[in-house]
Amino acid sequence: MACCTICLERVVTVNKKRIYPQWFLIIPLVLYICFFLFPSILGVLYSFTDWNARSAMTGINFVGLQNYTEIFTSNKDYVSGILHTLSFTVVSNMIKLVPALLLAIMLQEGLRGKGLYRTLLYLPSILPFVIIGLVFKSILNYNTGLLNMVLDALHLGILKQKWLSDLNVVWKSIYGVDAWRGIGYVMTIFLAGLNTIPKSYYEAAQIDGANFWQRIRHITLPMLTGAIMINLVFGITYGLKVFDIIYVLTNGGPGHATEVMTTYSYQLYSSGQYGMSTALNTILLGITAFIGIMVVRVMSKKEVQQ
Amino acid sequence: MKKKVMALLLCTSMVAAMLAGCGKSPAATESSDSEKGKTEASNSTEADFAGEELSILVSAGWMDNRYDATIARFEDTYDVTVDLQTIPADQYSDVLQSKLSTDSCTDIFWIQSDPFAIASQIVDPDKYCIDFTGAAWEGVIPETRLQSCTYDGKLYGLQLWHNSPEYIMVYNKTMFEENKWEVPATYADLKDLCAEIADKDITPWFVPGADGWQHQLSFFQIGGVYEAAAPGLYEGLNDNTATFAGNEKMLEVLKEFKELSDAGYLGEDWIGTDSTNMSNEFGDRNVAMAMANSSYIKQIQEDTGTSDEFGLFLLPLGDNDTFPTNPGGPTMFGYEGSEHPELVKAFFEFCTTTESLQEILDNSPAYTNIDVNDDKVVQKWLPEEEEFMAAIPAEKMKTGVLQTSTKYTNDYWMDFGADMIAYCQGTMEADDVLKNMDANRAESAKVAGDENWK
Repeated sequence: MACCTICLERVVTVNKKRIYPQWFLIIPLVLYICFFLFPSILGVLYSFTDWNARSAMTGINFVGLQNYTEIFTSNKDYVSGILHTLSFTVVSNMIKLVPALLLAIMLQEGLRGKGLYRTLLYLPSILPFVIIGLVFKSILNYNTGLLNMVLDALHLGILKQKWLSDLNVVWKSIYGVDAWRGIGYVMTIFLAGLNTIPKSYYEAAQIDGANFWQRIRHITLPMLTGAIMINLVFGITYGLKVFDIIYVLTNGGPGHATEVMTTYSYQLYSSGQYGMSTALNTILLGITAFIGIMVVRVMSKKEVQQ
Repeated sequence: MKKKVMALLLCTSMVAAMLAGCGKSPAATESSDSEKGKTEASNSTEADFAGEELSILVSAGWMDNRYDATIARFEDTYDVTVDLQTIPADQYSDVLQSKLSTDSCTDIFWIQSDPFAIASQIVDPDKYCIDFTGAAWEGVIPETRLQSCTYDGKLYGLQLWHNSPEYIMVYNKTMFEENKWEVPATYADLKDLCAEIADKDITPWFVPGADGWQHQLSFFQIGGVYEAAAPGLYEGLNDNTATFAGNEKMLEVLKEFKELSDAGYLGEDWIGTDSTNMSNEFGDRNVAMAMANSSYIKQIQEDTGTSDEFGLFLLPLGDNDTFPTNPGGPTMFGYEGSEHPELVKAFFEFCTTTESLQEILDNSPAYTNIDVNDDKVVQKWLPEEEEFMAAIPAEKMKTGVLQTSTKYTNDYWMDFGADMIAYCQGTMEADDVLKNMDANRAESAKVAGDENWK
């Protein structure tokens, strides 16, 4: 009896210590389920149907894996769209993470005017994709673009390229524009991470005779695992669902050279093939979830080890 | 306890406030309901639209500046604002379809219409389009164009387009005469001519591939030659007994186009070049020929002030000698879900008055005429157009262009263009380009529930 009384008192004490009651969760949870979870599950279910623009009249019919089969066997080459998406994810992350980290380290050190540089580097991140697309389409135009004109003026005409219409160059142009836009954002997250590393670690390492690269390897990188993980997860999800930058720069062209999953999905949705479109999105969801979970697991393990 | 009650009340009011935004206002519902069914002749001029906003979604090139003055007068007349949303041509179809399928379309939207387009592009006109049947302006539209504006006996669209020869070859006549170049009648002639022109460091045939919609005209505008090579082809394509794939004439035309592309006769970077600078290129004598409307001659002369003379000839790919007859054209529709249906009707009426029609024509450097039943409109046919039309035998003008005379073809205009570029860049085979068109048309037919594809 005494034990029960003690337990009850404890529960009451714990409850009193809670700032918000549990049922506060109900409303956000209901909203989350209604407007996010339920539509997502519904989307996956629709991928097994023939849902299209005329379904309001003809009804929606279950077609099993037909949409998925078509994606992998169709003459339209959706598979290359999937591969393009994956390669964009890998390459765009590589070319943003490494320079962004170096820039962050540089700007963390005692560089004069570092505040100005930080702002300048971050600025492209706040520009809308449409503006970036219009500006860079103009800059990269073969005949009238600024880039080729500057190359001509510098007598470097040999370096002139058909930046957005040559199959061997177009992806590089996209990566370049994407890096220009994204590096500042990635760098800002790294800077936040760098600020949390105590200065005393570096001082101790310096006393022990560690050079710049050794300090990076043994202090900065291990202590930045959290920031790297955040950037990786953000970068991977951004890469997998990339749409805007491709749409505004090339719209999947020339031909179908830069089509990605989302551009195909958008085209399918636009032409009223909603079932096929959701099937493609479901594949994207699967890939994103798988890679995201893997990255978080690997990085979490490393964090624990450290 | 008081706190709990307070929290509960706050939460309830928050949810109520959120849900209130999701509902349709009774006024809107009432208004929408009242608009269903046949349009009654409305006395729009007396209606009070003050302060309302009319939104229009249109692809670049369909309205341009030619409607500016009319829109300004409309705004002044009714004390309203017109929000003109012009979308780049290569993105327009996607944007429109997304807006229609998410019930978030503008008050007025445009499509590139033809006798099959309403069914295939809008799919469910009853749901998406205001029914204008019985509107006073119906009589303004010529009979040939009316079939692109009606579906199932109901009038949905308004097509104000010109009747000039569309997308034929425009060439610099003065330059041709100076260099003693002959107008080509066959593909072999065209190829030889291109070689001669290229030798002079001039782009023989300006093709603006970056627009995404222009280069495929060279394939579709010569539909008559495909029909002539395989009589009954159009009928077969419409009842699904014939296909694009394997069609020898079509394969021949694609091959010829690629040949010109590979030889650099279409410009150094035609795939990355758009049409923004086309008239200047003509004016500067950097190009000799391009596919354009006959009235484009007027635009070149007005844009650049050139004293050169220009002429017209039929595109000789596939040894074509047929005229590109096309009853289709950009057409505007009222959106059934509009919150300002009466204003939409007023706009359609306003555009079809003689004053507006003349204004639209006068403000169109690319127009020499407007194809309407209104004798009071003063047309401005070019002598070049009249000369060109007079030289073409009537029997060569009977077959319509491929894109608007066969079902579901025009819907995949942009896809075909992308495939054509992929073919020219060597990442696709010619027959795969045609196979994709068949597959796409089959998809559209499936969506439309077309019996011939079942």
